[in-house]
Amino acid sequence: MVDLSQNAALSRRHTRRIDSDTLAAWALALPAIIAYLLMILLPLLAVLALAFTDYELGARGFAFVGFDNFAEMLRDRTFAASIRNTFAYALFVVPLSIGIALLLAILIEDGARGRAFFRAALFLPVVSLTVAMATAWQYLLHPTIGPVNTILRDLGLGTPNWLGASEWVLVSLGFIGIWQNVGFNLVLFLAGLTAIPRELYSAAEIDGARSPWARFRLVTWPMLGPTMLFVVIITMTRSIQVFDTVQTLTQGGPNNASEVLLRTIYQEAFHYFRFGYGAAVTLVFLACVLVLTLIQTRLIDRKVHYG
Amino acid sequence: MANPAQTRGLLADLPRLVILTLASLIILAPFIWMVSVSMKPQSEVFSGSLDLIPSEFAIAENYGKVFDRVPVATYLLNGVIVCFGILIFQILFAVPAAYALAKLRFAGREVLFGFVVLGLLVPYQTTALPLYLGFAQAGLLDSYTALIAPFTCSVFAIFLFRQFFRALPDDLINAARIDGMGEFSIVWRVVLPNAWPAATAFAIFSVVAHWNDLFWPLIVIQTGDLYTPAMGILAFRSVEAGEDYGALMAAALLVTAPLVIAFLFAQRRFIEGITMTGLKG
Amino acid sequence: MDGIVVSEVSKRFGDTQVLRDVSLEVGRGEFLSLVGPSGCGKTTLMRIVAGLEGVTSGTVCIGGRDVTATRAADRDVAMVFQNYALYPHLTVRQNISVPLMMRRLRPVQRLPFAGWLSPSVRATLGAIGEDVETAARMLGIGALLDRKPAHLSGGQRQRVALGRAIVRNPSAFLMDEPLSNLDAALRVTTRSEIVAIHRRVGASTVYVTHDQSEAMTMSDRIAVMMQGVLLQVGTPDEIYGNPQDLRVARFIGSPSINQIAAHAGPDGLLCVGGVSVGLRLEKPGNAVLAVRPEDLHLASQGLAGRIEHLEYLGESLLAHVRLTEGAETVICRLSPENRTRLRPDEPVHLAFDHGRALVFAPDNRRLAARPLPSALREVARG
Repeated sequence: MVDLSQNAALSRRHTRRIDSDTLAAWALALPAIIAYLLMILLPLLAVLALAFTDYELGARGFAFVGFDNFAEMLRDRTFAASIRNTFAYALFVVPLSIGIALLLAILIEDGARGRAFFRAALFLPVVSLTVAMATAWQYLLHPTIGPVNTILRDLGLGTPNWLGASEWVLVSLGFIGIWQNVGFNLVLFLAGLTAIPRELYSAAEIDGARSPWARFRLVTWPMLGPTMLFVVIITMTRSIQVFDTVQTLTQGGPNNASEVLLRTIYQEAFHYFRFGYGAAVTLVFLACVLVLTLIQTRLIDRKVHYG
Repeated sequence: MANPAQTRGLLADLPRLVILTLASLIILAPFIWMVSVSMKPQSEVFSGSLDLIPSEFAIAENYGKVFDRVPVATYLLNGVIVCFGILIFQILFAVPAAYALAKLRFAGREVLFGFVVLGLLVPYQTTALPLYLGFAQAGLLDSYTALIAPFTCSVFAIFLFRQFFRALPDDLINAARIDGMGEFSIVWRVVLPNAWPAATAFAIFSVVAHWNDLFWPLIVIQTGDLYTPAMGILAFRSVEAGEDYGALMAAALLVTAPLVIAFLFAQRRFIEGITMTGLKG
Repeated sequence: MDGIVVSEVSKRFGDTQVLRDVSLEVGRGEFLSLVGPSGCGKTTLMRIVAGLEGVTSGTVCIGGRDVTATRAADRDVAMVFQNYALYPHLTVRQNISVPLMMRRLRPVQRLPFAGWLSPSVRATLGAIGEDVETAARMLGIGALLDRKPAHLSGGQRQRVALGRAIVRNPSAFLMDEPLSNLDAALRVTTRSEIVAIHRRVGASTVYVTHDQSEAMTMSDRIAVMMQGVLLQVGTPDEIYGNPQDLRVARFIGSPSINQIAAHAGPDGLLCVGGVSVGLRLEKPGNAVLAVRPEDLHLASQGLAGRIEHLEYLGESLLAHVRLTEGAETVICRLSPENRTRLRPDEPVHLAFDHGRALVFAPDNRRLAARPLPSALREVARG
């Protein structure tokens, strides 16, 4: 009996010890938890709820309307254009910005001359204010006084209205997107490339991989797998979130030819004050990001060779 | 692949140099023209000439216009206040939480980490509408609070710091405990000072992201006094108009310069920072 | 009792029992080594004493105070870690002052510039500075005080770690394999330095190591642990010469103690392969005859065998001998001049000092064995 009570006292003491650890941990995390609840979790739940209402900014009340907002999306021409444009933009920007970045990264890594300069020059767009640079592009792409068209005119080629014609506007925005993303992807690839052990290339050469291309296929490409996974996901997400350039340069025009998801959300909520509908579009946006991330993780994960 | 790099002759290196130079020129083109046009008088801009050096300088005129018509300094200051406000809170909140997740064994750790991962998957624009309503309700629209508060809990920072803290040796923390430190002291006196690479990397990532952000300021800010640099440019465009490219480029250059100059001074830090945060995210 | 008292401590991590009812006393000022193979629980036991790990059951007292539920910070113990665990961002001076700052200054007083504002803080800081200097002088690292750990050699880091521990005058001193990251030569010199420092500081010390030679050379007493159980605690002499468990005998000593399968007949006479070895047990049954290499010598009669190979070590010659009876190879340490006489493959006979032979039961327990009177032994041999 004495033993038992002693044991009980001991185990109580032990429990208190563990509790004090747990207490300390939660105390340390508390500020983050509060901010998370207020700024992420509650708004996330709210947007989920809001998407099923007809709430309008300034309205006294609102009603739950079930899936009406989503049904409306199916009929909404602007939304259709928005989602089509967003994906077209992403499909244009992602492969090109990744391909170009990889090529340039390999070229930079391949020699010592000018390495630091090229890296810095190509990285510059990443640290530049997007809105300001979009303005610079607007000048460059100006239909009459822009240098791009001046050169094309001198060469005797056509001079499209890059940002004003519906058939060119997405291409132009996409080009600016590529311009922005290449430097970012480039430094990620450079990090991936430098992490590949040099001996592997020597080994490949001894094993008979004579051409640079053969060595690329045998060593670089597979060893770059994990980096590639990250780069694809990041570029994809960044592309779907395109907003600044569109808002600055085209406002979604002409005739919705450059309307994109984030702008639709902004427009619906803050111009038409239709928060319910805006929230529903937000959910579509979120779903796109989640699904793409998931697919890519699955797809690429299977092929990635972790060194 | 890089083996022969050092020894290769200039001639053999030429194709590489040509391609890289061309790519750099395309990337740098908007910067070059931005500088050039910001010094050109309007007449010369509209002549559509391809000369980079203006035949007649209009620096005072263009930059003067910018300073006359919009409070550029205020925009830049707002940008600095907002970026650093966000950064300080992010570090203040994320570091202790990340330490707890990385180094303490406690009930609920897995759940907490699950929420961090969930947060990583949700782009911040998703929560914009309810947050706007919340700030409107609280009467906080048009304030630094509205610009800073939504970003105070960076799950990305928590994730990044957690990865980094896990690599710190357990015995370092045990030694601190034996030396008499409590968990709070350990976080600020031992863990953070040894996490500078992660902290600078995150700081660069965070400042670049928020200096650039347009979506959220556009939603919550109406008064010009609180415009961030990005909004300032947007405002200057619509006010000053559209086609005065000299002044417009001058304004663009002024708001782009701070971060670009910082980058040129600390290139390695920036590139390492973005690489590290990029690969961990 | 004034030192460290561990009573009936058990520890499990999930389903794994790491420590089983371990009781151990370290006297005031005593130097006790905790040895055992890796994974035996010695480090866990030390971490429990330090307060870095909780117990599943049992108690820990330090300096007469029950500290089982006390946090590491409040236990007044100092510890030297295997990888030193120096704060990389602090200079040597700052590293050594941390434990003093934490104890002598309140949190507010530790803020930067507090020294400017308050004379009492300034005085305390001055005292801390002096204590640090004293400790540094004692360890011969006075010249390194303003360097960061990254700019120190392994041996220097080790001294800083020692300095951080001794500067506090703790009531208990814990060291977790502090020499394992040093090269062999440095290990030997540091070994004697630690002993010297211990003599001057005089705090109860627990020293964890897997290196039996460290334990043998440094300790007042040695505690041998295996699989979470404390097998034997005793002076180096007792542990080496009078082990109570075959595993202890095997673990201490290099080359390892020789083990020869033996059997005691109904009369208790111990035989190897049917030949009596001149020892009598209390009970019949299987047993293990254990003899240290230096206790075996060449003789005209005794255990027959053939030399397998010879290792010349300079001060001695190790002969690996395969016994004719049984399958064992034994090692015997011979004087070096035998080198010229012996050749591999040569048949030899080995005899041993019966007073120093050890006998163990198949379950590793020590068995009492009495040497036969020498007359009788001769008969048995004949």
